[in-house]
Amino acid sequence: MNFLTIFARNLKQGPQTEAFPLGPAFTPERLRGRIEFKAESCEGCRICERVCPANAIRFAKTPDGMTFDCWHNTCVFCGNCEFYCPTDAIHQTNDWDLSHANADKFDMVEHGLIPNQKCADCGATALNTAPMVKNAKPPLSAEEYTELRARCPKCRAKYLKNRKVPA
Amino acid sequence: MSTHNVPETFSIPVGPLHVALEEPMYFKIDVKGETVSHIDINAGHAHRGIEYLTTKRTMYQNVVLTERICSLCSNSHPQTFAMAAEKIAGIEVPERGIYLRTVADEMKRVTSHLFNVALLVHLVGYETYFMHMMQVREIGQDMLESIFGNRQDIGAMCIGGVRYDLDDKSIAYIKGALDKIEAETKDIIKTFKTNGSILRRTKGVGVLTHADAITCGVVGPVARASGIDYDVRREAPYAAYDRLPLVVHSLTDGDVWSRAMVRLEEILTSIDLLRVCLRDLPGGPVNINDRPDIPPGQAVTRSEAPRGEVIYYLRTNDTPQPERVKWRVPTFMNWDSLRFMLQDAKVADVAMIVNSIDPCLSCTER
Ligand code: SF4
Ligand code: SF4
Repeated sequence: MNFLTIFARNLKQGPQTEAFPLGPAFTPERLRGRIEFKAESCEGCRICERVCPANAIRFAKTPDGMTFDCWHNTCVFCGNCEFYCPTDAIHQTNDWDLSHANADKFDMVEHGLIPNQKCADCGATALNTAPMVKNAKPPLSAEEYTELRARCPKCRAKYLKNRKVPA
Repeated sequence: MSTHNVPETFSIPVGPLHVALEEPMYFKIDVKGETVSHIDINAGHAHRGIEYLTTKRTMYQNVVLTERICSLCSNSHPQTFAMAAEKIAGIEVPERGIYLRTVADEMKRVTSHLFNVALLVHLVGYETYFMHMMQVREIGQDMLESIFGNRQDIGAMCIGGVRYDLDDKSIAYIKGALDKIEAETKDIIKTFKTNGSILRRTKGVGVLTHADAITCGVVGPVARASGIDYDVRREAPYAAYDRLPLVVHSLTDGDVWSRAMVRLEEILTSIDLLRVCLRDLPGGPVNINDRPDIPPGQAVTRSEAPRGEVIYYLRTNDTPQPERVKWRVPTFMNWDSLRFMLQDAKVADVAMIVNSIDPCLSCTER
């Protein structure tokens, strides 16, 4: 195409630049943006914390349970955490707009809490994490899952061992 | 007889910060009139300590870290690193993962080459066409963002395969985007062959002869434009390249124009390879779905990055961190050849000639 043809085409098409912030910006569905954490699906395995190259993820033990913090300003949006997370507890949304006033920089955190609970069996205090039952055969029923989740790690192991597995 | 005592030669410093240089590099150029008579190249302004940092990060964190060594070859680094880890641990990448690695590699090559040739047009002074070429590249960038979620650090690689998958919808989308880029690239090639301003500024400029190219050990499009028919994808096939109809383009003139032309032709080849990959894409898993410990050992792997051959040396011990990671990047091999290319060049061509080796200092100095 010679340049005059390109010129004519561009004249007809109008500007190629996006109107942002006056209009929407191109945002594909798969865009890897802000981290989102769902405490109720988290198994507490802390793999995300280990594979995060930026050390943006921190877990901490508190009197209420285990807290999760992901610092958006430290995160490099690599997606390692979501990729290696065994559940869907950590997810990269396609929200890319993380602009904020400098005064708010310490609030740019995705926070979550895996609360403590009293074990339904032995009464010990333990984290109410999602049980690791991906490979359980046969898969747990919803009722079994709730029962299992209400227990501490030791009693969970016992529960799974004593589970009546139909032949 | 003139009474002015004007010296015949001048020294001009170019860089480390200079309007015509994209990255920090320092040239001390001695000129006689308008002609370069001697050149000193000095680098080391962008050292980030990444090599050291890799030994402080685990293998799985390093896949992300190596991706950030270079923004335009950002797929080749983690891929070669992962290949080294897989070699040590004896990991077999599933067939579908192998093809998807090739897809990611070639997509990055298309956008990288378009970027470099667009910059050449900018340095030639043909700004409108530069804008047009960047707009063509934008089709590729949108494609990367839509498939991988990021324009530069596409995060496609992991040890044991790839992290992304394609479905019918995304394959159709890629094919559409490739059709657009292919048509535009063919037009760009035509322009490069006929446009007077581009031809006058680039033909016969910055020549690297075949003999000098061998002396410098140049790699990638710089080597191929000087008649060295060498491409790692063919010499030591990795990913799916042994199954693909790869055409290696080489020219003999070794000037700025030839280097741009090799890149433009390679874009078309990459598009062909992508189409074949998408057509033959096997089913099955895309990675090993595991995060095994990498046992102690060492390995050397190499791949063809957009700029040329990149080599990785990896040595592991029984900790999760590697003991040593070392890489040799294409620009390290190519920038010595600037001495030959710039000799007797016109001062006005210096920036253009430097750009023609597609220098990447962020990976050379890491
Ligand atoms: S978010 Fe996922 S990876 Fe992180 S601790 Fe929870 S389950 Fe494990
Ligand atoms: S996206 Fe990457 S940097 Fe961000 S929290 Fe996850 S692993 Fe860490």
